[in-house]
Amino acid sequence: MKNLLGGKIAIMLVSIILGLMLAAQFKNVQNVGGNVSLQRAQELTSQIQKLNQDIANQQNLIAELENRIAEYENAAKDEGKLTETLNKDLERARILAGLVELEGAGVIVTVNVIPFEDWGETGIVRNVYHEDLLMLVNELNAAGAEALAINGERIVSTTEIRSAGDYIVINTNRYTAPFEIKALGNPETLEASLKLLGGVADILGEELEITIRREDKIRIPKYNRPLHYEYAVPVQ
Amino acid sequence: MWLPLIGIIIGIVLGMMLPIKIPTAYSSYMSIAVLAALDSVFGGIRSSLDKQFEADVFISGFFGNAVLAAGLAYIGDRLDVPIYLCAIFVFGYRLFNNFALIRRHFLGQLRKKSFLKDNSGK
Repeated sequence: MKNLLGGKIAIMLVSIILGLMLAAQFKNVQNVGGNVSLQRAQELTSQIQKLNQDIANQQNLIAELENRIAEYENAAKDEGKLTETLNKDLERARILAGLVELEGAGVIVTVNVIPFEDWGETGIVRNVYHEDLLMLVNELNAAGAEALAINGERIVSTTEIRSAGDYIVINTNRYTAPFEIKALGNPETLEASLKLLGGVADILGEELEITIRREDKIRIPKYNRPLHYEYAVPVQ
Repeated sequence: MWLPLIGIIIGIVLGMMLPIKIPTAYSSYMSIAVLAALDSVFGGIRSSLDKQFEADVFISGFFGNAVLAAGLAYIGDRLDVPIYLCAIFVFGYRLFNNFALIRRHFLGQLRKKSFLKDNSGK
């Protein structure tokens, strides 16, 4: 009789463990959305590798073409004073167009989500939306920022900042939080403009983690895509 | 007979409420372990119905099978041999077998109580 009781307790205990395992597995599968098979993972890995290779190739191509442009410019430089002034104009135009890497004082603004245990499915208060970045960029431009870059993407006149699903697309590349906005300009002015009471950082800071850091030396990368005008023609 | 069912329900409720999380990478091994555990519980029910239940055999089988199945699946993944298929096949087969025996046992009981017409002996 005692053995029977022990057996019942054993079955009970083991069933509870089985139930726990079932529940854990169920939750897991629900979270991931099914079992990702090893083959699928390998397939995706190889795809990523291939695309990375593609990117490297394209970047090589860009570097090569830029070298050629530099060569042409050097060749032109040698031809007297007239071309010298033209070259200066060209350099100014290239800075304006974002085709030159710049360095100087400014601020670095980082925007990140605030982790919040047990808050919904994602465990964050809210995601970073493209409007937030646009507001920050707008404010920095208003405060006299001379050059801007988000996550290493130079902001030029044709740069888009738009949401695409879970990502934010900047210069056709996809990014997710955290975002790092580098701005060249008077560091005090830039920081003050963001930190105004009721200003952008004040509003966004309620739901996002925003830090503003002044730096003496910030490097802003150049815009590394071809600027291509097909429809726009200058008026003579 | 009702003990395992009650136990599983208690376990599922507990598991849903407690924040247990298995890393996604081990999810596939966990699924094999769950299958092995299910088989053990069905086996336990069957043997208790047959009055052959032994607690030590049951418990060692439960944990041993689960760990062995998950371990084999893991080794199989490392060696690129799909051993988990074998575990699924064996445990699935035994699961259905055990269930068939349990079914027969209860149908037999029902027949004895003549809830069902006995049309086997005549």
